[in-house]
Amino acid sequence: MKKRTGVFVCHCGINIAGTVDVKKVADKLSKHDGVAHSEDYVYMCSDPGQKLITNAIKENNLDSIVVSCCSPNLHEKTFQNAAKAGGINEFQSEIANIREQCSWVHKDKEKATVKAEKITRSAVERVIRNESLDPISFPVTRRGMVIGAGIAGIQAALDMANTGYEVILVEKNPSIGGHMIQLSETFPTLDCSQCILSPKMVEVSKHENIKLLTYSEVQEVSGYVGNFKVKIKKNPTFVDPKKCTLCDECTKVCPVVTSNEFDLGLTGRRAIYMPFPQAIPATYTLDDKNCPGLLPIACGKCSDVCDPGAIDYDQKPEIIEEEVGAIVVATGFDLYGKEEMGEYGYGKYADVLDGLQFERLCSASGPTQGKILRPSDHKVPKEVVFIQCSGSRDPELHCAYCSKICCMYTAKHALLYKHHVPDGQAYIFYIDIRSGGKGYEEFVQRVIEEDDVVYLRGKVSKIFEDNGKITVWGVDTLSGKNVEINADLVVLAQAMRPSKDADKLAKLLKIGTDKDGFLQEAHPKLRPVESVTAGMFLAGAAQAPKDIPEAVAQASGAAAKAVAILSQENLFHSPQVAKNFPNLCTGCGMCVDVCPYGALSLKDGKVEVNEILCEGCGTCSATCLRAAIEVKNITPLQIYEMINASLGG
Amino acid sequence: MVNLDDLKKEAHRILEENKVKYIIGYSQGSNGFPAVPAFIRNPEDSDNLIWNPACIHNLTRFLRDEKKRKAREKHPDNRPVGIIVKGCDSRAINVLLQENYITREDVFILGVSCEDTGVIDEKKLAKKLMGKMALSFDWDGNRNLVVTTKNGEIKINADEVLAERCLECPAQSPVVYDILFGDKVKRSPETRFESVEKIEKLSTEERWAFWKEQFDKCIRCYACRSVCPMCYCDECVVDTISFAVTADTTAEEKAQKIKWIDKSPVPSETFFYHMVRAIHLAGRCIDCGECERVCPLDIPIRFLNKKLEKEAKNLFDYEVGFDPNQLSLVSSFKDEDPEDFIR
Amino acid sequence: MAEEFEPKIVAFLCKWCSSAGSDLAGVSRMQYPSNVVPITVMCSGSVSPLYILSAFNKGADGVLVSGCHPGDCHYIKGNYYARRRIALVKELLEFTGLEPERFQMSWVSAAEGKKYTEIIKDFVKILKPLGPQKKLGRSQ
Repeated sequence: MKKRTGVFVCHCGINIAGTVDVKKVADKLSKHDGVAHSEDYVYMCSDPGQKLITNAIKENNLDSIVVSCCSPNLHEKTFQNAAKAGGINEFQSEIANIREQCSWVHKDKEKATVKAEKITRSAVERVIRNESLDPISFPVTRRGMVIGAGIAGIQAALDMANTGYEVILVEKNPSIGGHMIQLSETFPTLDCSQCILSPKMVEVSKHENIKLLTYSEVQEVSGYVGNFKVKIKKNPTFVDPKKCTLCDECTKVCPVVTSNEFDLGLTGRRAIYMPFPQAIPATYTLDDKNCPGLLPIACGKCSDVCDPGAIDYDQKPEIIEEEVGAIVVATGFDLYGKEEMGEYGYGKYADVLDGLQFERLCSASGPTQGKILRPSDHKVPKEVVFIQCSGSRDPELHCAYCSKICCMYTAKHALLYKHHVPDGQAYIFYIDIRSGGKGYEEFVQRVIEEDDVVYLRGKVSKIFEDNGKITVWGVDTLSGKNVEINADLVVLAQAMRPSKDADKLAKLLKIGTDKDGFLQEAHPKLRPVESVTAGMFLAGAAQAPKDIPEAVAQASGAAAKAVAILSQENLFHSPQVAKNFPNLCTGCGMCVDVCPYGALSLKDGKVEVNEILCEGCGTCSATCLRAAIEVKNITPLQIYEMINASLGG
Repeated sequence: MVNLDDLKKEAHRILEENKVKYIIGYSQGSNGFPAVPAFIRNPEDSDNLIWNPACIHNLTRFLRDEKKRKAREKHPDNRPVGIIVKGCDSRAINVLLQENYITREDVFILGVSCEDTGVIDEKKLAKKLMGKMALSFDWDGNRNLVVTTKNGEIKINADEVLAERCLECPAQSPVVYDILFGDKVKRSPETRFESVEKIEKLSTEERWAFWKEQFDKCIRCYACRSVCPMCYCDECVVDTISFAVTADTTAEEKAQKIKWIDKSPVPSETFFYHMVRAIHLAGRCIDCGECERVCPLDIPIRFLNKKLEKEAKNLFDYEVGFDPNQLSLVSSFKDEDPEDFIR
Repeated sequence: MAEEFEPKIVAFLCKWCSSAGSDLAGVSRMQYPSNVVPITVMCSGSVSPLYILSAFNKGADGVLVSGCHPGDCHYIKGNYYARRRIALVKELLEFTGLEPERFQMSWVSAAEGKKYTEIIKDFVKILKPLGPQKKLGRSQ
């Protein structure tokens, strides 16, 4: 099995050649057992460099190559293609990293040259034992799924559906719309949020390619890119939307009043309710946590008044199984709780609101029909204090990160307040004003100049209720003076945090979360819409705090990535997967236990590999006591020879 | 106390009722050996069974042979094999079950409890007898060994003649059995890892000197491996000696064969062999001490396994052989596993 | 004057974190001694005890195994298995008299080029006074 390996040592200009004697490495390697050709060149990755490799393969009848150059993360694919162009299998190409792991970290040319030689020999020992492999092909389930139906999820679902693929849109709440539907106006253009979102919501409800599952939660996900199996639990609404005529008689008789989530507790709702007038699907939901009994005996009033008989107390949760090829996760955000803010009264003062509550207060469809009245006594507040970075940028007590949108929406809040209460005074406490974005800085300047909003640079140390007022103690760091304001209303620009239970979903989906609990992108710069798991994509504030245009952009990006999978008839999987040796296997099952992907199973007392599930991590191989399983092209024998080569000389 | 007559009676019964195909037990040895493994096939031979403090052997090792024999048979007899096990041996059965090497239906387990004693260390006893020939011996029920010699009876305290592993044994009675003989005893020894701790107390260089001397003696006869019930691989990963080339051995398998070590018994290779054996027994060794007993050069191999038994217990709260359904030591982890050694 | 002893170190680096972290050290032009020859493996969980013993057997003066931080494993949990396995190997080697300094494990993320650099610098520094590792090495 003597191989004919070619070694190609790259100068990378002086990046490598400045510290490593590349000619010497090429010369030494030419005498290595199994090496039939060895040369150096100034830029192997350049077009002439690749041609040189391709020609050398053909001219010298090479069957494998080692390119000593930069990290395989950069040009592994380039040289695999050069190998293919030369007529050999792409897996007969290995990279010896002599730049990042050698020339760039050493100065002593002699020592660096010796090390580069060892790294190259090690790669040669590996490649001469490589198997030629073909990518494993498997068919794709050509439907998509979007989890979360806020603006990001809606956008992603519409984009995917408009390319012609069926999309299942899963939302845990009774209606789609997310937080955006709660907002009043949006910065910097002051578009009415509901007016721009509701057309998209209607489009979702009418789209023939979108299957909408509201009041539903993902329970289980198995499978792999191109072929996911998802179990979804659809909670019972106890109302049959087909029969319901939206007459609203039921809510009039329902005896239960509970806090209205849509208005963030500023109003109440009945146990049977429609979340808001534009809700999609347009139907009622009976909330069984607050309903006195779901039985005619316990109450039954809603059922009594329902002429069409739409109310069905016997509805049960339904488990729906769907098969999809790609998943977009757009689970959005929640606000960091006011009750976490000890310094701001733990959320116990009625006239201390968070940003979303203030949105409802400003909204024409809100609890006050757009009049700004303070919750405690329904009077028009004449002095309002807005506090930015409430919970953000505070690594000691709260969240370390910047929530990104608060500077802008606080400016908008102050503006809206001034438009509603022209004789009122708005104060904004801020640390910095971050207004990067198209038209954003201009918007902030307009608020400062036209609306006479007082911006105070500093933090608020304490707020407390005093004689019907909210006293705010802060400091103006520009003048160095302490500030006390007796406000009628305080609005906290609470930090954004990942939505509740997003971490549980991330575990189910096997996608990572970052230190703050936001979903982890595959690469912070180059792969910002991909998750770490193939076939799952991220959109919206679930990945990081972001505003509407950014969420929409990422959603369209995620949709395009998902469609890139769905548009394929077949996908390919790396063939560098585990391989078992039945003769040596005793069926102890330890490898089955350690496999993170469930790719291994026992059959007739021997282990079997599901090559599509296997990611080639090799933990099975290190666990096996009998050398009965290994990963192709990084086998124990290859490592053994690489150890030898690494220590030689 | 274990009643030998009961044991014989039950053995007779299960053979007669065809419940088992044969029984692996102990019988009186010739040639001065007080006990040897015995294979009883006829009910009437049950009378040859013995149970005494010299029943040292871990008979579960013979299940390996049984399995291989059965695999070769065209029409295998699927009745279970009767087997006599002590506390330690029973834990070996559990590990074999855990690793799917045998099924519970493959064995009919006659458990014998060591109660508050165990088995003797032949060398310790020989020293005590100072050349006198033991005609018979047994425990007296008060943790004394009563030895009958030509010159009369000698009484020796159990702690002076018990095998070291018995003094450190965490469970003297079988943890899995079909019939149990003797009383179920749960004694937690105070000195479970004393032998290991003695070595740990030495300095690094002293430890190296100790082991170097030991490994220098090794002639790589592999008796330790042959006697071990857990060394059931057809082929040992560390050497090419046992590499079985059969009709279905592929060329690739031959090519993939790694010569991790040289065959010659030079210290570095011997060291490698013993390290791999110890690591491969981590979480699997039940401390029957057979490897050490059969070593012709008296290498205290048991210490290596015992050390890892200790670390499994201390670092990962892992006990070997008590639960056939637990995940193996190295195929499981806990989030809180220690990592203070990691930078 | 006799040439200073240069220890030979084999480092098993997982592809996704530690090897990427060592790449970052290179990109950032951090400097560390050239004693380490890295072998990139898919996951720290794939490092068999045999690899470690073999490296010592073939004359390594030190061996490093480096993986992703707990919770960050590209393969979800390979590094947890590695942590357990390596702990056992380390205990055993120390028990038989190998200097504990000779075998190390670390968590190095793709962002920790500096940490990788420090680890290598310290490793070399600590190995130099120990001299060549002859205990487990095959005599030439």
